[in-house]
Amino acid sequence: MELSDSVLQHLREVVDLPDLSGTRYELESEIGRGGIGVVYAARDRDLDRRVALKVMDAGWAGEARLIARLEHPGIVPVHESGTLPDGRVFYAMKLVAGKRADRYLEDHPSLGERLRVVQRVGEALAYAHSCGVLHRDLKPQNVMVGAFGEVYVMDWGVDGVAGTPAFRAPEGGFDQRSDVFSLGALLQFVLPADAPRALCAISAKAMHADPAARYPDAGAMLADIWRFQEKLAVEAYPESIGERVRRFAKRNEVMLWLLAAYAAVRFFLFFIGTR
Amino acid sequence: MVDPDTAIGGAGDRFPSTQLSLLEAAAGALPNEALERVIALYWKPVYAFLRFKWRLDNEAAKDLTQGFFANALERDFFRRFDPAKAGFRTYLRMAVERFAANEYAAGRRQKRGGGVEFAEMEERSDGESPEDVYFREWRRQLFALAIDDLRAHCEASGRLTEWRVFEAYDLADESRPSYADLARRHEIAETSVTNYLAWARRTMRALLTDRLRGVTSGERELREEMRRVWS
Repeated sequence: MELSDSVLQHLREVVDLPDLSGTRYELESEIGRGGIGVVYAARDRDLDRRVALKVMDAGWAGEARLIARLEHPGIVPVHESGTLPDGRVFYAMKLVAGKRADRYLEDHPSLGERLRVVQRVGEALAYAHSCGVLHRDLKPQNVMVGAFGEVYVMDWGVDGVAGTPAFRAPEGGFDQRSDVFSLGALLQFVLPADAPRALCAISAKAMHADPAARYPDAGAMLADIWRFQEKLAVEAYPESIGERVRRFAKRNEVMLWLLAAYAAVRFFLFFIGTR
Repeated sequence: MVDPDTAIGGAGDRFPSTQLSLLEAAAGALPNEALERVIALYWKPVYAFLRFKWRLDNEAAKDLTQGFFANALERDFFRRFDPAKAGFRTYLRMAVERFAANEYAAGRRQKRGGGVEFAEMEERSDGESPEDVYFREWRRQLFALAIDDLRAHCEASGRLTEWRVFEAYDLADESRPSYADLARRHEIAETSVTNYLAWARRTMRALLTDRLRGVTSGERELREEMRRVWS
């Protein structure tokens, strides 16, 4: 049978649409396609609210159960899961209004704001690891920043996900340290060109080719970012004496000014007394 | 959880997949079936690719396509396919390119192409490359085969009204009839039109997936191809 372009286009639009008859959801529009499924915006008729509906082939039923186990402010909550008449599985989750992290960065947020996004992602990752769940495909496209600054990590991975080359650890397999590699790649991605060397070193340590040389977990990497923010010595960056002195001076600026003022007063009084 | 048996055309209505993957079929007792699947899906895209890439006329492209499927596929073609290096669609296209280049180098073009010169073209004025044409025609043929399968499935299972509603609405090339028109024409309720279309579409999706499973190396490649089909 010969298919015209217009019929083919129509079939591509309608044949893949999930048949939601028998569910409480009405399809609105497609939001995006990932490695293991399609996400649609839909309306929950019973609760009169919009949700995101992820539809996957039958083999991925485990993903919904996996994500439903995770309860964290940085992980989108799952409302319900189910099976469509054609055997595909779906789960309904909160519809996050916001921007993907890569697009969010196009608004040129401050360094502090960029680090905040990475920290929120790292906290969600550390929590998931504590539950025995890996992400496997952490990248800016899988991070959403909401309208009120909330940060969500999306598309938690399951077995069979290949990862994205620029954010995938070179050793190939998946474990906590491969997720730490991806978190380091995310940090590298968000850093501006003139980022401080200590932050670049944190990213480089997290992305070390040898997994054993990386941070052992996401928490250790977050601790190093925190040390940077507190102007403490960063584990990943061996400082020169000059840099150490400058950092000490910056961290203790007020105290040094007070000492200088005290010394100046003492000197002045000494000078008056000797006249 | 939604109970699939309560949904229209529920679980018992699903089209069960019995298709072996390409490599399973080729390595097992079904090498001819594997070959047939490949030819059914790939003949037209290979023809379009050769015709476009080498600027061949209709007959020359047909001869070369026939030559490829008659000769190139015989020599350990499936055994040399390594899914870790490339998907089967890409592997077959590269084999076609090698075959055409060899034909050219061996000076057999006069015999096969009826004197038509090979003149390689990388891109058309509209920016479409031969690889784009190959993919576009591959996808078109995949849908065409799934429609044939759906018609055969409807005829075998006595669902002729479902097929006619699907054919009249989803295969309409110009203006589509309204659901009310279709309901009157087939003397069914308008809600039945909705249900018949939903059934036909999801059955066609299952049949298309099955076709694809038969020409891919396993679940991972199948998923990647499914994504390409709909993207």
